[in-house]
Amino acid sequence: MSRGRDIGEAIVRPRLSIPGRIALLLLALFGLLPIYWLASTAFMKKEAVFALDRPLFPVDPTLENFIGFFQNDALLQNLANSFIVSIGTAVLSVLVGGLMAYSLSKFRYRGRNPIMFMFLIGQLIPGALLLISLYLMLSSAGLLYTYTALIISFTTFTLPLVVFLLKGIIDGLPDDILEAAKVDGLSRIATMFQIVFPLVVPGLITAAMFAFMRGWSDLLFALTLAGPDKQTLPAGLTQAFIREGTADWPALMAASLITSLPLAIIFILLQRYFVSGLASGAVKG
Amino acid sequence: MQQAILDRPATREPIEPQSRRRTTLGAKDRTFGFMIALPAVLLFLVIAIYPLVSSIGTSLYDQSLLRPDRTFVGFDNYTAIFGEFMARLGTTLTFATLATIFPVLLGVALAVLLNARMRGRNILRGTLMLPWLLPGVVVSFLWAWIFNDSYGVLNHLLTMVGLPEVSMLGNPTGAMAAVVIAKTWHSFPWIMVVALSVLQTLPSEQLEAATIDGATRSQRFRYISLPHIVGPVALVATLEFIYNFGNFDTIFVMTGGGPGDSTTTLAVSLYQLAFGSYELGKASAMGVLWLILLAIISSAYLLLNRRLEKR
Repeated sequence: MSRGRDIGEAIVRPRLSIPGRIALLLLALFGLLPIYWLASTAFMKKEAVFALDRPLFPVDPTLENFIGFFQNDALLQNLANSFIVSIGTAVLSVLVGGLMAYSLSKFRYRGRNPIMFMFLIGQLIPGALLLISLYLMLSSAGLLYTYTALIISFTTFTLPLVVFLLKGIIDGLPDDILEAAKVDGLSRIATMFQIVFPLVVPGLITAAMFAFMRGWSDLLFALTLAGPDKQTLPAGLTQAFIREGTADWPALMAASLITSLPLAIIFILLQRYFVSGLASGAVKG
Repeated sequence: MQQAILDRPATREPIEPQSRRRTTLGAKDRTFGFMIALPAVLLFLVIAIYPLVSSIGTSLYDQSLLRPDRTFVGFDNYTAIFGEFMARLGTTLTFATLATIFPVLLGVALAVLLNARMRGRNILRGTLMLPWLLPGVVVSFLWAWIFNDSYGVLNHLLTMVGLPEVSMLGNPTGAMAAVVIAKTWHSFPWIMVVALSVLQTLPSEQLEAATIDGATRSQRFRYISLPHIVGPVALVATLEFIYNFGNFDTIFVMTGGGPGDSTTTLAVSLYQLAFGSYELGKASAMGVLWLILLAIISSAYLLLNRRLEKR
């Protein structure tokens, strides 16, 4: 058996030829060298990167760039804001998106198709097209420059994502389970909270993490709707380093690493789900 | 694709088709289904659909962040910004097209290469996901640093091997190339993962049968693997194009739309009009014209999506 399978495997997955290996090496270098440069600059001294004989690796590594970040009150506030807003976005999206997904997946009613269409289109609307109206709306509601403003605006792109991700997962639940719950005399609400959602907890967590990551990474809304006190790291970093023209590159790279770290941790925890979520096409790249 | 998340229990007895089962649900079930949809529907109507519609209204007014009152001007905003819209549209199309083609080529190439048998394949695939993981602003900071004229590592390396330095962010062509490269680097892992997972669903019998019939390796790729991944890749490419069309962070952080307005795409231009010049009416008019284009491109995506689902 194993021999036959080996031959099949060799056909389906041949070994790489020499040109193939060289191509892979070059592409992998393009993918990975910038990561190396991000990490290694973060550990360099500011003077070192401006020197004539600037090294390609941190010869005299330092933590001063990271320490500098944690001594900067504005950036720390940005970091806290990022957590508050991204968690808020994830919770809101999964709460209403989970109900929506269950509804789309297991129920048929008039208006279901238009609703599904609305969210399908919703995935494609760029933030810039909502920006001005959201600004005016939030402004007249007295919500401009609040956490709520950011959570609401982030939800415009996380909600469709969460709905379709969870719909795909709940679709996989056999209808028998629901029938059985009905026969057992469980109410519809109890079925939902005691049977359906507990069965898809990994999916709910994955969806929450995706929403968190998308909120964490947004720049446009953070720059325009949050104001200096409530803005998240991407907006804070853009203003602190780029707009003011002070290009302290090692400090910026260290701050970038810190900004990316939560996402890397989430990725490592959920790598398995990421690949299937990405591959299902439900998730934006 | 979701089996990984939720393994379906083995079926012991034949289940009636789902669609039939669902239509037997009672009226109360239908009401319940509708009720639990309401929170999301109402929320999305208020925060996304209403803003989209109301921007059409705003586009008909002379409205500024600097003045509390607004005056109706009909289509004046449209005539005022039309020339600029067309210019920005050209830039946007250039960026969106290039920043879609390169990640697709790169992602598919990597998927095919990584589909081969080799040691360390999973580690390589995992680490190559890293660029996708980074927030857009981080990608922009990083590439702005790499391309920095005076101290960037690109010019440093070029000098070391005796080649002339290049100025990327200082001239129009270089700046466009720079943002396309940065966006390519950010997007290729997504395409790679999609293409790789589709390649892995290819039934091995087909490839084996073709081999027995004497098909060479390149023929197997050309006539079996490639047709197999073309549909899903076209779908993600269309999505990628739509997202690139609306990209803001990559360009805004790296070039701010410059030098001059050589990299000012619609998103950057709309932002500058609204929050740089405070011209909300004109910015909205630009948005409405963009919305019309988006509707056309989105229809293409939806059609493609439907065709693939039927397959």
